[in-house]
Amino acid sequence: MTEAIQNVAKTQIEVKDLNLWYGEKQALMNIDIQIPKNSVTALIGPSGCGKSTFIRCLNRMNDLIKNCRVEGKVSIEGRDIYGAGVDVVDLRKHVGMVFQKPNPFPMSIYDNIAYGPRIHGVNKKAIEGVVEHALRSAALWDEISDRIQSPALSLSGGQQQRLCIARTMAVKPEIILFDEPCSALDPISTAKIEDLIMALKKDYTIVIVTHNMQQAARISDYTGFFLMGELIEFGNTRQIFENPDKKSTEDYITGRFG
Amino acid sequence: MFNRNYKEKTIEYVLFAVSALTVVILFLICLFLFRDGLLLFEDVPVSSFLTGKFWYPTSVNAQFGLLPLLFGSLLVTAGAILFSVPLGVASAIFISELANPKVADFLKPFVEILAGVPSVVYGFFGLVVLVPFVRETFNLATGQTALTGSIMLGIMALPTIISISEDAISSVPSSLKQGSLALGATRWQTIYKVTVPAALSGISAAVMLGMGRAIGETMTVMMVTGNTAVIPSFPGGILDPVRTMTATIALEMGEVPQGSAHFHALFAVGSVLFIITFLINLLADAIKKKYRFKVD
Repeated sequence: MTEAIQNVAKTQIEVKDLNLWYGEKQALMNIDIQIPKNSVTALIGPSGCGKSTFIRCLNRMNDLIKNCRVEGKVSIEGRDIYGAGVDVVDLRKHVGMVFQKPNPFPMSIYDNIAYGPRIHGVNKKAIEGVVEHALRSAALWDEISDRIQSPALSLSGGQQQRLCIARTMAVKPEIILFDEPCSALDPISTAKIEDLIMALKKDYTIVIVTHNMQQAARISDYTGFFLMGELIEFGNTRQIFENPDKKSTEDYITGRFG
Repeated sequence: MFNRNYKEKTIEYVLFAVSALTVVILFLICLFLFRDGLLLFEDVPVSSFLTGKFWYPTSVNAQFGLLPLLFGSLLVTAGAILFSVPLGVASAIFISELANPKVADFLKPFVEILAGVPSVVYGFFGLVVLVPFVRETFNLATGQTALTGSIMLGIMALPTIISISEDAISSVPSSLKQGSLALGATRWQTIYKVTVPAALSGISAAVMLGMGRAIGETMTVMMVTGNTAVIPSFPGGILDPVRTMTATIALEMGEVPQGSAHFHALFAVGSVLFIITFLINLLADAIKKKYRFKVD
């Protein structure tokens, strides 16, 4: 099944020869990867391997870090996002991101979701519909529709994370990046987020960084294994987990290190 | 073993005694201030003090009306706040969010030095520079006006407002800012829609403390406001001389016979001032505690 998808899937994110330095220290080395549209791609690897750094190249969040230098090419829909004249603000509208720890703004649930559409000039009437749609898509509507004006911080951790996913979807991106979205959550909340991610791939291209190999195996179509700043192996999730090409991938997956 | 416990306990008690001392001092100040202040009401009814419109402490029919002094203080303070809050908050935003670290490190000590300048020096500067400037700009008989006092007090409240607001703004978790930027917000949208609202409680506390500093300031206002104990009109009175509560106490305390009604009236004014600043500080503290950041 996955092979069939790969054959027809269109590449949405294409990375060529990506190198990244924090000051003198090189954190990513010659990364080449092609991420297909409407799929879930999981990035795994031990702490400090560069997987989070890599994902932050895709919406240029690394721009916020001083002394961070990027070389190489990252194309989304054929457009080089590090090229001259690229509007980073516009890029982030198309490439959303959900963070490790839920980070709702200290405002009401409604205002959290409406924040994105408002700054992008969506008119007031339309926003209500956008908010409801986003909350429904994030499977949160039924739980909180009666208290949409209460503070977002009154929600549980898992609900807050789904709120953050809804908030990201309200901007209508094509790609959503997840940076270890479940690492601060309990197993039940984690399961809900995983279900959500799998449901979302029909509308979005999803790239998820995870520490949890079972999670990668459960939810992703493709898996990339990072080690010491290099992308060791990338392919169908099933193949990576059952029959990896590289020895180090196998060692990591079978728990010999990491 | 026993010996060490004994030593630990001794140190604990000594430190407790030292920190308890501040509470004792505050309590004693209250006691003496209110004791002497309340004695006024043996000579003068409470209502004629609190709602009296005239402060004629040395005439034959002495009148001890608080209102001219209270309004003088409030007018000067309100002016100071109007002037220093936008300036202070803008500086705080710049230092914590926009300036590159080198510039911020360069600016911060200056703000602290501003706080360390003695108030008489501010008064001197006001008298020599600002008073003539106000007189000429508005074509007045005297440049010693409420406005002059407001500007000086505004400058003096700036360090408090800047450093406490800056603290509040930079303690907003960076995860919130990143969340906003990741949604395609610009840096400025992030600042005014997420960062500043999230820091609003701290900023309010900063404003309160700046206000407390302004209303309690004595020397500078005495030197630049002209000290006329008349209820200022509003808003035109901002260009008239006024007399604040603090200036009144400082000006008259030296001349007054101990134990006289006038003496007690000054203590009563002091009590009112104390209550106002106490409430402002209490409020600032409550705001800070109530909304302290729970994320991160």
